[in-house]
Amino acid sequence: MTNSISEIRDVDFLFVIGSNTSEAHPIIAMEMKRAVAQGATLVVADPRAIWMTQIAEKHLQLKPGTDVWLLNAMAHVIVEEGLTDRAFVEAHTEGFEALRDTLANYRPEEAERVTGVPAEDIRWAARRYASTDKAGIYYTLGITEHSHGTDNVYALANLVLMTGHLGRRSTGLNPLRGQNNVQGANDAGASPVFYPGYQRVDDPEVRAKYEEAWGVELRPEPGSNLNEMMKAVGKDIFGLFVMGEDVLLSEPNVLRLEKALNANDFLVIQDVFLNETSRFADVIFPATVFAEKDGVFTNSERRVQRVRKAVVPPGEARADWQILIDLANACGATWSFDGPGEIYAEMVRDAPKFAGISYERLENEVNHGFTGLQWPCTTPEHPGTEYLHEGGVLRGKGLFTAVDYRPSMELPDEEYGLLLSTGRTLYHYNSATQTRREPGLTAKQPEAFVEIHPRDARKRAIADGDRVEIRTRRGAVQAQAIVSRQVRPGCIWTPLHFSEARANVLTNDAGDAVTGTAEYKVCAAEVSRVEGGGAGEHFPGSFYRESGPAR
Amino acid sequence: MSQQPRITLGGSTIAFEPGETLLDVARRHGVEIPTLCHDPRLKPAGACRTCLVEIEGWPRLAPACATEARAGMVVVSESERIDRHRKSLLALYMADHSADGQRQERGTSNQLLAMARAFDAPSDWGRLPERRAGRSEDRNPYISYDAGTCILCARCTRFCDEIEGVSAIALAARGSETTVSTADGLSLLDTTCEMCGGCVDVCPTGAMAEKMPLAWEAGPERELEKVRTTCAYCGVGCQLDLNVDRAGEGGRGRIVKVTSPEPGTTSNDGNLCVKGRFAYEFVHHQDRLTTPLLRGKDGQLHEASWEDALSAAAEGLMGVRERHGADALGFVSSSRCTGEENYLVQKLARTVFGTNNVHQCAAT
Repeated sequence: MTNSISEIRDVDFLFVIGSNTSEAHPIIAMEMKRAVAQGATLVVADPRAIWMTQIAEKHLQLKPGTDVWLLNAMAHVIVEEGLTDRAFVEAHTEGFEALRDTLANYRPEEAERVTGVPAEDIRWAARRYASTDKAGIYYTLGITEHSHGTDNVYALANLVLMTGHLGRRSTGLNPLRGQNNVQGANDAGASPVFYPGYQRVDDPEVRAKYEEAWGVELRPEPGSNLNEMMKAVGKDIFGLFVMGEDVLLSEPNVLRLEKALNANDFLVIQDVFLNETSRFADVIFPATVFAEKDGVFTNSERRVQRVRKAVVPPGEARADWQILIDLANACGATWSFDGPGEIYAEMVRDAPKFAGISYERLENEVNHGFTGLQWPCTTPEHPGTEYLHEGGVLRGKGLFTAVDYRPSMELPDEEYGLLLSTGRTLYHYNSATQTRREPGLTAKQPEAFVEIHPRDARKRAIADGDRVEIRTRRGAVQAQAIVSRQVRPGCIWTPLHFSEARANVLTNDAGDAVTGTAEYKVCAAEVSRVEGGGAGEHFPGSFYRESGPAR
Repeated sequence: MSQQPRITLGGSTIAFEPGETLLDVARRHGVEIPTLCHDPRLKPAGACRTCLVEIEGWPRLAPACATEARAGMVVVSESERIDRHRKSLLALYMADHSADGQRQERGTSNQLLAMARAFDAPSDWGRLPERRAGRSEDRNPYISYDAGTCILCARCTRFCDEIEGVSAIALAARGSETTVSTADGLSLLDTTCEMCGGCVDVCPTGAMAEKMPLAWEAGPERELEKVRTTCAYCGVGCQLDLNVDRAGEGGRGRIVKVTSPEPGTTSNDGNLCVKGRFAYEFVHHQDRLTTPLLRGKDGQLHEASWEDALSAAAEGLMGVRERHGADALGFVSSSRCTGEENYLVQKLARTVFGTNNVHQCAAT
């Protein structure tokens, strides 16, 4: 996020796109609700009628995967109607001319045909966004989990730059991080391209610095990203170390990966429960959960916060950092750290963005009203940074990147007539090895479901509560049908959490060209009633159902 | 510079910002005014009347929480009249509050009881008949409501409406039968409730309470220790307090509940969601891995010592490197783990094995 979470309540125009905020980031949603209660305008762009649409001024219910069309059309309107911030564009950006040429083709009337969003709504949203001083954009995986995810982000950044909506409190571009420490894992250099602090592995100066610090020769070329690694298993990759992820539940097109794992030589897993992937493990290390160890997590607003050991791990389970030291030393290294504080100090020593952060400061200081420190925080005196790009874009000039719409890799056809998107719910979390062991959450949401529009359900003789099979070119799973107007006609939606109905059996592993992030949000699917499956028990959790009250 | 407006409070002259209530001004100035229904996240309700103050020229006492400061106001927050009034009020609340024999939730103080004691409120005013209906049949797993201990301050219903925004609970019925209820008295499980537990968090009397059995004292009273940490679910990074019974789990410590930090002190403003507040049972779950496991020649996983497991892992990974080269290895790190652990995984891949094939699991 370029802004802070606490700034959200003062935003006057919130544009939420590809974020089911109240389910995936409930506390950020509370801040948005507070802004709306104080008179802010909320616009939600999402293929589903998510909860936030109930308090939105407008819901732009676009077809999945057509974001570039929608966003370029909004930019088209802003340029056409002279609503750009000329002074900001002049002073702080480059590449505007080329962008303007591209945008000329994205007329709202044509956008309506592609996206399904009325041209008038596109014009209205564009005008309101451009003309509101405190305007914030909030997005998450609905933007990034596409084969053109990076294009979607560029299209958003173009809107931000052309309106000068950056570098101020409550005004900016805000990706909401999906997991507790996505930000921190990237910050720490768990990336094929970056050392800690976003320093490129192919930058000779940076590499020399780390060779000096670590006392070894380092590889000059970037490695493979996760998507590439998973596709290379059994072909170019024959040994895997997996910490804290159930790849056979979370990665796309898991049946292909499952086959490939048979040709893998060696798999080490470090985790807290057995999971789908454990079936292929050669060694499993028993690890610890957040409550059993010390460390830091970095949240969406770049805030580094302490994790504190509260209870002792069970049996012989060890803290993950301890296991990693033990493994390195078993491989011949001579690592010695007296604890996470010392590891953290080593990490920030060579990473200027975080150089001012220390355990001592995290323990003792309150900055800008709260505990924790937001990077950039470059010196021990630096109070941390509430919002980025103050007084100009960090890289010097903000670069407009013109993007053209590219359709998703697999769209509905005669054989697979529906468009499937997947995602998270409020009551479970990713592979759900934790939340499905929680009786209360399981009472609220016991089993896999698929939302299908009444029109599509009728065509297939599917009734609310029926057991159905969802099929794609890659595999099939069963779930309970929720006949619901929450989804668009022609679209279905299913959560990823259920190991007996792995949504990722269905998903397409086509990845974004830059990030490798897979197209979890769009693939072609078909649904049919399972004969003899009977009507499942109703469970709460969905609204806009075909029958009965919203609940 | 224009003169900032001021009030007189208990003899001192205090400047204030337009829009501040008398309670805001007093608290900023370190003057204690007791409240039950007040919460800085909520609009002032003036419901509980424990914060009444005297304002010169006003015939009646006024609630400090709901009265905006005006230039020149002369305010007194402690007087014989206020004390008399407050004692009667607290005595009436106690007469309408079945504190006796109430089971005590661990680590949660009953603010009403504490206030009644602190102000020496009469306790002999008897008991009002219980007319308020509860929802004893509510099968939701987390939140209970005891109508007998409720004083209708409406912090819970206002939180549900103003902050969580789902309005699952509301004040229902009228007069002495007024209660906190759901639409049609449904279980919270069947309403718009998202089980964030904010109602439990804000309740000053324990009427809204946790259902989780470990939150209640079973054996002899044992102190709970609060450990401030960061939630491990989504990327908001909420601060929360794990309430630990040190003697639990055979001395390893048992999390018996999760509570919120003071509003205004952390970026989650004291708010939590259903997962942050309630989904910690997995920590102590019997399915946890407790020893290293090694795949044997029989194809099954067997318990192993750390020494054996570590050397097997080292040999296995080194062997792949020897046979196929360093880039035949892939390291999947975890965005659920700490920054330090992610740092070590990339350092392991890069320095021990010599590959940049390392990526965290949430590659977005």
